[in-house]
Amino acid sequence: MSHELYACLYAREFPLQALLRLRPELRGNPVAVLSGHPPLEMICSMNRAARLRGVALGMTRVEAEAIQGLRLLCRSIECEIAAREVLLECAANFSPRIEVTGGETWCTCLLDIAGTERLFGPPAEVAHRMREALAGVGFRASVAVSANFHAALLKAGASGGVTVIAEGQEAAALENLPLDALNLPEMQAETLAIWGIRSLGELAALPAVELIARLGQDGKRWRDIASGTLPHQFQPVEPQFSLREFCEFESAVEQVDSLLFVAARMIDSLATRAAGHALSLALLSITLRLEGGKSHQLTLRPALPSTDRKFLLKLLQIELAAHPPQAAIVALTIAAEAGRAGTVQLGLFLPQLPEPSRLDVTLARLKALVGEDRVGSPVLEDARSADAFHMEAFALGAPGHAMTDRRPRIALRRLRPPHPVRVFCTDQKPVAFHDGHQSYSIAVAYGPWRTSGCWWAAGDWDRDEWDVLITQEQRAHLLVNDRSQNRWQLEAVYD
Amino acid sequence: MPSANALRLQIERTLESRFPAALSPMPQTVRETAAAGIAEIDSLLSGGFPVGAISEITGPATSGRTCLALAFCAERTSEGKVCAWIDVNDALDPESAAANGVQLRRLLWVRCKSKAERANGKPWSRLEQALRAVDLLLQAGGFAAIVLDMGDIVVEHGSRIPLATWYRFRQAAEQSRCCLVVLGGAAYAQSSAEIVLECAPREARGQTVLQGYAFDVQLKRQRAVSANASINRSAMGAMRKPAASTPAASTWTAPNAWATGATA
Repeated sequence: MSHELYACLYAREFPLQALLRLRPELRGNPVAVLSGHPPLEMICSMNRAARLRGVALGMTRVEAEAIQGLRLLCRSIECEIAAREVLLECAANFSPRIEVTGGETWCTCLLDIAGTERLFGPPAEVAHRMREALAGVGFRASVAVSANFHAALLKAGASGGVTVIAEGQEAAALENLPLDALNLPEMQAETLAIWGIRSLGELAALPAVELIARLGQDGKRWRDIASGTLPHQFQPVEPQFSLREFCEFESAVEQVDSLLFVAARMIDSLATRAAGHALSLALLSITLRLEGGKSHQLTLRPALPSTDRKFLLKLLQIELAAHPPQAAIVALTIAAEAGRAGTVQLGLFLPQLPEPSRLDVTLARLKALVGEDRVGSPVLEDARSADAFHMEAFALGAPGHAMTDRRPRIALRRLRPPHPVRVFCTDQKPVAFHDGHQSYSIAVAYGPWRTSGCWWAAGDWDRDEWDVLITQEQRAHLLVNDRSQNRWQLEAVYD
Repeated sequence: MPSANALRLQIERTLESRFPAALSPMPQTVRETAAAGIAEIDSLLSGGFPVGAISEITGPATSGRTCLALAFCAERTSEGKVCAWIDVNDALDPESAAANGVQLRRLLWVRCKSKAERANGKPWSRLEQALRAVDLLLQAGGFAAIVLDMGDIVVEHGSRIPLATWYRFRQAAEQSRCCLVVLGGAAYAQSSAEIVLECAPREARGQTVLQGYAFDVQLKRQRAVSANASINRSAMGAMRKPAASTPAASTWTAPNAWATGATA
């Protein structure tokens, strides 16, 4: 008994399927795909509804446009590459040994499924599961299972649905298939036609020696394929796990809502694929190709890797609102980086904290409201200049330093930018100042506290600070004399 | 002769259709409190600021409002919780916050922009931005304290905030168990505020160096009973009607950051 068992996934009309995968609403309608450069565009792929309307391969655009209700799409090689990756990744869930073949309008994955019975059940069940999995990612494919590689490939290409060929029954399963299934060279196909050979069964019935004498070793090879006995050297590919989706629009999209409609499906597909590897989406890079050749980049980086489509879509919506593209969108690419899904250990006595995904959305909204650089946590800089800090992104779980002495200190309220004032001095001590609206007499002035620094760089400072108490109102101000520019500024109020 | 209880019941039954439970005092809400971080204020408020409610800290400049709010944030962040500071006039000094003990990595600072700073031409003023930000953060939940700093805005502008907005904030704060602290020149939240503290400067301290300030704090309004006060009251025995109380007041001092050798 042979230990080989192959399953063949055969996706017909692949250019069309690659385009309709992210547009399921078009599936019931007659749709055809045009390939080539204008004006020499020709139909290269179509669905059943289009075929029933009279669409045929090789029709020109003008002929196709004459058919009422037919939706014409342009072929996108980038879409097909992305779809092929998805197909391969889906197949990789069933077996790590995959060989990929393909033609102009079809895509085939052959899986070595020997030994997977304990995981997925008998061959028929594996085949059904594969078909369902492919339907889940938007492909319609036929599946054939056989102990012979070529028999599985031929049967899957010739029949729809699921076919399981029992071991030893390959010849019987293939005998009714037309000779065209072998894709013979034109001359040999004609010779066989003259001999009256129409099916694989008839070819397999020819005597081997006489066939070799007339057609050479190729003849023997075709005969072995037709009888389901030709062995195959399996050449597995290593499927690379890359999360990337691409969609090219028929006409430029100007409304963000329309874009989000497609983006939702792409994010959904990426999340499903990542979840298949027990991963989540840690980063999304969105590239919008704009009219005129420019591109617009957006990056979404959730606090925790997530597979929640609604949440990621909301982030994208807010990001698009904050950074809208400057022209209509021609194509959309979403590439994702996978990360381990965040695990949170809950506890009764843990402090109440915001939910990370909701916090992400809230922070994105706040940034859209007040500005990117004005939301976050302040971080003090290791400098002695006034107001030296920078903003960093607010993150949960950031380690905090424990202060041993937490007594209240009188705080400053900064005026940003500092308010220029006119100061009147007596004995080099401020006694009053005028802020442009009102004059204030100073009751007590503490100072001056002289600081200077960074004289070797551009951001140098040299200033005298005065803590002044106003007579009329019991207010304390921080007055600063910028010695380098000889000007007084009201910098802060004590509170 | 009928007893007082019987008389009360009879009157209540008679007026039942118009005033349900006319002579029975309304059940008082007992609120959980969060320590303010200043012993005098905690004692004044019988435990601290109410959780899930709006607290207002009012007063002029140099009345200790910011210091009080920072002390509260320091207390909350030291418990491992996160706080937000919605800064209408971009006035927060991170150095002062750190000196007060606020763990800056647990503080979300939202700095509203002025019209001149806005590049994208969005039509919100600083105050509107701040109110939207508070709304978003209250809806997000999980923040132990949100400080809405309106300390430098004109009182007339703050008074124009619709009462419906404050009512919405009160509801949201209650649901998310967040302490919403409003800093301002006057009390803006009206009946939606659980407590109103009025701060005032008392005196500056220091001869050659401004060493600190003493502040007066007066509790102008307290709607609900704090959990600690309720325990004390129940220990004293059930009182049908609380005794009329004069506004409570306290004095506290805040030294300057360098005056006591503290480092940020």
